[in-house]
Amino acid sequence: MGSDKASELLPGTLDLLVLKTLARGRMHGYGIAQHLKSVSDDVLQVGESSLYPALQRLLLNGWVKADWGTSENNRRARYYVLTAAGRKQLGAERSEFDRMMLAIQKVLET
Amino acid sequence: MKLIRRIDYWLNRRKYDAELAEEMEFHRAQNGPAEWGNATLAREDARAVWIWPWLESVAQDLRYALRNLRRQPGFALIAVLSLGAAIGINTSFFTVFEAVALRPWPITNPARVIKMLEQPQGNSRLDGFSLAEYRYLNENAKTLDGVTAMDQERVKLGFEGFGKTSWATFTSGNYFRVLGVAMQTGRGFIPDEDRLDAPENVAVLSYATWRDHFGSDPAIAGKRIHVDDVSFTVVGVTGEEFTGTSGSDENLWIPLAALQSIRRNAAGTRDYLHQANICCTPVAARLARGVSRSQALAEIEVLDRRFRAEFKLDAARVVLANATILAGHPKRNNLTAAFALMFAAVTLVLLLACANVSNLLIARAAARQHEIQVRRAVGAGRARIVRQLLTEGFVLALGGSALGIALAWKLPAYVFAQVGQGPNVSLTPDTGVMAYAVALAAFACIAFALAPALHGTRPNSGAARLPLRGVLLAAQVAMSVAPLIGAGLMIAGIRHAREHDPGFRIGGVSVISFELPASSYYDQRTREFSAQLTRELDRIPGLGPIGMAFPEPLSHTHWSTAFRFPSEPADTHHEIEFVQVSPGYFDVLGIPILAGRNFETGDASRPVVIVNEAMARWYFEGVNPVGKSIVAGGQSREIVGIARDAYLTYLDSVGPLLFQPFTGAQVPRVLLRANAPGGAAVAPEIAKEIDARTLTQVLPLSANLDEQLAGSRAMAGVAGMLGGLALTLALIGMSGVFAYAVEQRRKEIGIRMALGAAPKQVILLVLAGTARPAMIGLAIGFIATAGVAKILAAYLYGVSAYDPWAYASVALLLVFSGLAAAYMPARRAIAVDPLAALRPE
Repeated sequence: MGSDKASELLPGTLDLLVLKTLARGRMHGYGIAQHLKSVSDDVLQVGESSLYPALQRLLLNGWVKADWGTSENNRRARYYVLTAAGRKQLGAERSEFDRMMLAIQKVLET
Repeated sequence: MKLIRRIDYWLNRRKYDAELAEEMEFHRAQNGPAEWGNATLAREDARAVWIWPWLESVAQDLRYALRNLRRQPGFALIAVLSLGAAIGINTSFFTVFEAVALRPWPITNPARVIKMLEQPQGNSRLDGFSLAEYRYLNENAKTLDGVTAMDQERVKLGFEGFGKTSWATFTSGNYFRVLGVAMQTGRGFIPDEDRLDAPENVAVLSYATWRDHFGSDPAIAGKRIHVDDVSFTVVGVTGEEFTGTSGSDENLWIPLAALQSIRRNAAGTRDYLHQANICCTPVAARLARGVSRSQALAEIEVLDRRFRAEFKLDAARVVLANATILAGHPKRNNLTAAFALMFAAVTLVLLLACANVSNLLIARAAARQHEIQVRRAVGAGRARIVRQLLTEGFVLALGGSALGIALAWKLPAYVFAQVGQGPNVSLTPDTGVMAYAVALAAFACIAFALAPALHGTRPNSGAARLPLRGVLLAAQVAMSVAPLIGAGLMIAGIRHAREHDPGFRIGGVSVISFELPASSYYDQRTREFSAQLTRELDRIPGLGPIGMAFPEPLSHTHWSTAFRFPSEPADTHHEIEFVQVSPGYFDVLGIPILAGRNFETGDASRPVVIVNEAMARWYFEGVNPVGKSIVAGGQSREIVGIARDAYLTYLDSVGPLLFQPFTGAQVPRVLLRANAPGGAAVAPEIAKEIDARTLTQVLPLSANLDEQLAGSRAMAGVAGMLGGLALTLALIGMSGVFAYAVEQRRKEIGIRMALGAAPKQVILLVLAGTARPAMIGLAIGFIATAGVAKILAAYLYGVSAYDPWAYASVALLLVFSGLAAAYMPARRAIAVDPLAALRPE
């Protein structure tokens, strides 16, 4: 069972995380999930049922592009790359997220 | 951009699906079995991203649009009704056009059947072939799997009323085989039944004739029927779909050779069946297997040249056409022009309806400014709001097209029933027609909803006073002017014709007509009938003057002859109309003989004529022509009298007219005073005594006048209907514009009222803003109408196409309509409560 922690994220946050991950470079779906898992010390375990809709959404909006390549273990895999529009979107979502976090923190600290 | 990606996805969804599946498979392989969840569900979720949210938002828009329209049922009703009327009229028109111009004949594989036509040198008309050439082509063309000829003649089957006939199509013996006609019962003709030297009296009935007049008798084959009093054997009945190839009624089919038994007396029958120089019978052929149209044309051209050279005929151009009703139709040019005119008119109505709904939507957008601003403020993009407004338009257009299709189901048949004639084809809208209606709706939707949507959502549209509504109003007024003036002119023409003194007595005169079996009445028999009729009528006391004539006044039949003066060379031809009349004719009609004498008994055998004043003026220039001679029909004839001018042949003009003594070679029309005791009653009996098969009809002469005016009346009806619709639409549109003006200037009106403005000033204020575009529209409409009014001239009697009264009354009508349209909004304007209007929201 894919423990779908990502669904507990704030809405839209997964898209932001995927965009951020892809900002580091070309990556396939499994790689993105692994990256999120390891960077978050196993907190963010993104299952395929939320990852792939997110990737399709990003494709639809034109923020990422996909092409086929060969994986580390010599299998055919689909790799995702950030587009220029995606990079812009990342910036926008990032600052919106920061603003939101700040607001939440303020509420929690009072 | 997003939409394009969505469409791209939709078009290549198979590839994208496979890619997604493969990629997820890869993911699982990396994860190991421990991580497996519901793979299909996960893939569905990922795929749904592309389509679902969009569909959902469309459904949302639709729901919202419906809710919105339900809140304003009056608006929705008016919009759907005007669009429905416009789309209905357009679709009806297209239904007829499709049936006549586009639909192939109802036969087997019509794409392989061609109409063959030829155009002799120096002739502008396409026409058929002589029967001799048809036979030559049928025997010699290798590229054709049979050539067939078809010609129509009026016949009587016995059940028709007076003056009514059935239509027989005379065909070659291979007709049913070449065309591939499905039969209801029995069979089509075989070639042996069409041998000129051994004609056989056989007939095939149409499905409708069989059903309506022979009680759908399943055992009809082998039974006998009478065609023009000649006995024929029925061999079959065509299937229900096959209504013939001409577009007019075809009640039965008869082999061409049998023309000899029905028209055995007409001298022309033999020539028609045999002579190479007597054209023109419509001809069709089926292409042989594997032969292209151009190959067939090449062979037919060679054969045609050879045939024409052999019989020393001028060369002709051969044309092949599709097997549709309109292609190569002798009246094709007139029909095409009529279609073009109608198309222009119905398109005008559609544009008008669109402009109208557009105007209403603008007014509504103004009222919804607040709502739109709120939606923008909560983050809706402009494109999104435009889409929402377009969806509302789409819902209206859909409603309109549903109504339109329903209308198209009934309207064409109804109109043709009113006019009394129509094409003999099925007029039920098919899928093509429905597609046309939906395309119209889509066009209408974009035409009427896009501009207001863009206009209403402009970032600062609150302050803008865009000229769009003015332009729309002007266009609406301009478009309603033309049909209104057209209707006005034609009504004026009809009134003028009815009230105008025609120069002869119409009221109180009866016309008695007779109908005799065509197969036995010719030459001598007709003379005997006329003579006997005259004798018998003369014997009845107290009938008053009796006139025999052919044709009678204001008949649709016109006869003309050529004459010359004795001093002129023999090849001079002056074309002139003539009527044959007996001495009593001028008495009954009250036409005085101004000089010379009337006809008298015995004149029928003398070479004498009477002329009318117009003839005397035109050819004798003031010199008294009585006693002078003209040469007509190869004989010198003396002019014995001058009759006063009267509108005997046409309602709109009196041309030169020649009266010849009635000879009896035609079955006459009897004219007599309607109040003559017993005259009209005894005439049928007398006729029956002479020949028991005679049918008699007594009608007032004024029926002829009405019939002359029927065309104008139908045109006036159509124009009046279109004009009325246009006026209604314009009224609604104007009303909407006024309402909009009031809504927009609510605050200003409030301030003015608060400062003591009188209601009158407020109303003027509202009117002023819309008067200018209305006037401009009126001017444009007048200029455009005056430009095309000449087309109507043929339907106007004694009224100029530029009749100032018609134009002035339309202008007046529109001004009053405008005022009426302004009434409600004006009431609302003066009811504006200054306090409420000024209170901040």
